[in-house]
Amino acid sequence: MSWSNLRYLPGQIGLALLIFGLWEGLVRAEVLSAHLYGYPSGIAAKVWGLLSTGELFKHAGVTAFAAILGFVLGSAIGSFAGLCLWLNETVAKIVRPFIVAINGVPKIAFAPLIIVWFGIGIESKIAIAAALTFIVSLIATYNGTLETDRDLLRLMRSLGATRLQAWRKVVIPAALPWMLSTLRLNVGFALIGAVVGEYISSQEGLGYLVYYSGVLYDLNGVWAGILALMVVALLMDRGVTELDRRLRW
Amino acid sequence: MVTMQYPLETKDLSVTFNPGSADEVVAFSDITFTLKPDEILAIVGPSGCGKSTLFNVIAGLQPATAGEVFVNGTRVLDAKGQVGYMLQKDMLLPWRSVQDNVSLGLEIKGVAREERRAVADRLIAAYGLKGFEESKPGTLSGGMRQRVAFMRTLALNPDVILLDEPFSALDFQTRTLLQAEVLDIIAKQRKSAILVTHDIGEAVTMADRVMILSRRPGRIKQIVEIDLRRDERDPVKLRSNARYQDYFQLLWSELDI
Repeated sequence: MSWSNLRYLPGQIGLALLIFGLWEGLVRAEVLSAHLYGYPSGIAAKVWGLLSTGELFKHAGVTAFAAILGFVLGSAIGSFAGLCLWLNETVAKIVRPFIVAINGVPKIAFAPLIIVWFGIGIESKIAIAAALTFIVSLIATYNGTLETDRDLLRLMRSLGATRLQAWRKVVIPAALPWMLSTLRLNVGFALIGAVVGEYISSQEGLGYLVYYSGVLYDLNGVWAGILALMVVALLMDRGVTELDRRLRW
Repeated sequence: MVTMQYPLETKDLSVTFNPGSADEVVAFSDITFTLKPDEILAIVGPSGCGKSTLFNVIAGLQPATAGEVFVNGTRVLDAKGQVGYMLQKDMLLPWRSVQDNVSLGLEIKGVAREERRAVADRLIAAYGLKGFEESKPGTLSGGMRQRVAFMRTLALNPDVILLDEPFSALDFQTRTLLQAEVLDIIAKQRKSAILVTHDIGEAVTMADRVMILSRRPGRIKQIVEIDLRRDERDPVKLRSNARYQDYFQLLWSELDI
């Protein structure tokens, strides 16, 4: 989403108003059940209520903290590990099937294990977010290193570069765009990790808010939580865009 | 026994792909030649004669199936830095400035930053890119990029320069200009060079001798001496020179394309 391109803003606001207006109208005309679908004015009231008690900030803060910390840990360690795999082909070949196997499983399936190991506190949410982003960064970055132009590597060799020099001067900068693109994907994965962790067991966080509102059939509460998640995701995406702009060559 | 040391020398070079199997392909065989000091030797041949493979072997980028390449009497694989090469692709690192691209080889050798800056800036100024030291390759034209690639080759001060169709991706004007420039630099700095090309005109313009390879499997068909003085070798004027046209015809008929 482009923020600078304000030309389309009126159209975007118009589309949102149209959807919300239609939704509100259908609920008021009792075509849609307010109980099953929630409705915009009710959501607005819910959001306002949660904002005025400060609850929404608390929940959003907890989820954002877990997601961001998990994102940073997972992306950093995963990218670094992916870069390191290039250094040793034997190790890379040995671990490859394991990585593929782990990647093939929906990684959320590991969440209960992580909760058992890390407890029901925020640590387990951070760990799930980190685990998800780690594997994505690892694979994307390693694949990025393999895409390095072979002619550039031959040039480095002919200039007398060691493998470590070629890694530092060519492979890492060449893989950088891959790492940066992966960060954008990882925003989503980190939030999935944090929210799923909160679904499974927690006393706070937006995942908790959405899950318990759902259990209580408070659909407006569910929507309020989803909206807050969108805001967190957009802010994280904004941060990644800024980082990308600074680092990309 | 003391033998004459040539800047570059090959002995019975052969490359066979998939040796011993059903799809065995002999790229070229029995390539023996010497490159004399201060000489430019061009290698031409019909497409598919293994020119590029031969280039890679001579540059030490790929092992030969049989035979050896010597640079100043040392096996090419042990002669890192004595051979510089330049390809059709400039292979500049897009994240590095012109200056840092030129000094890449010096950086790898561990030369101190100040010194390599000085070498790079001197080359950049000498070859007409002053003011572009901090530019990224992406902002330069094809001709400028190829010039930067050539400076990177020169920065390590190699004795032998290997050129694999370095001008073929450039437009006519830029190509002509760069041919003259490279010829001039090689002469002034007393380098020896091998030029692989499919452009007969370029071979006659730049080389002192032209080695013609046969169709696959590539073998040396003939080596033609080009008896033109360096000061006659202006790429544009040469075209109207009768001897240039004779050489052109001779090479063309020998190439059996």
